[in-house]
Amino acid sequence: MKNRLRVLRAERDWSQQDLAERLAVSRQSVNAIETGKYDPSLPLAFRIADLFEMRIEEIFQRD
Amino acid sequence: MTMASPAETAARRTAGLWAIAFLVAMFATAWFLKSGKIVAAPWGLAVMILPMLLLIPMVRATERMQRETGCASAVVTRYNRRMLVASFAYVVGLGGALLLFRQHDAAKSYAALLALLPTLPVFGMIWAMARYVIEEKDEYLRARTVNAALIATGLLLAVATFWGFLTTFEVAPAVPMWTAVPTWCLGLGLGHLIGKVRGL
Repeated sequence: MKNRLRVLRAERDWSQQDLAERLAVSRQSVNAIETGKYDPSLPLAFRIADLFEMRIEEIFQRD
Repeated sequence: MTMASPAETAARRTAGLWAIAFLVAMFATAWFLKSGKIVAAPWGLAVMILPMLLLIPMVRATERMQRETGCASAVVTRYNRRMLVASFAYVVGLGGALLLFRQHDAAKSYAALLALLPTLPVFGMIWAMARYVIEEKDEYLRARTVNAALIATGLLLAVATFWGFLTTFEVAPAVPMWTAVPTWCLGLGLGHLIGKVRGL
């Protein structure tokens, strides 16, 4: 699955640590999701979408 | 992918050095005990407490590394502390059980109870591992550990089956059942390593 997390984070000038704190996850989780090594669960995907005030499909896309 | 910061690299190196120091000290002490150059077992097991003390700075360095690499959590710290306590309890329990078993004939009738002395701390380790998976709120870290645990379980089952048949066909000697936990733990380490190589 592809995602726009890195771009969205950069637009807000957030570091991975900033995003991790906002999502209450580890920095490694953010890194793993951004690099496509790990696909988040639906609840975490909703938390990410809520944080960026977007719909899930605007952040995550099929390969 | 993010580049490792100098602090992260330094923390990894320090944790690695403490781990090597701990392993070298444990093997060296075990070798000296086996060769009878320090003091004969079972009292000699008390000497094992000394290299075990290296576990404390090793765990502290590991926690610092986990903070630097962004995979620290309160749950991880709790797990580290529980494992540390269980490890010390294991050495004390094993030493005590062997001492009572070898030096007091009367205690042999309580052999099953003595066997519980080193076993209970191992139960504690298993409980600590289970609690970690239950308590960890970070789904990525939890998934990583569960993947490693699956590799460890698969490895243990494969090794136990193969070794079992080697024993059946009298190719290899029987191995004590308590080796299951250390074998599983080796598999867990290997599982984490495989996860790292595969970029998980």
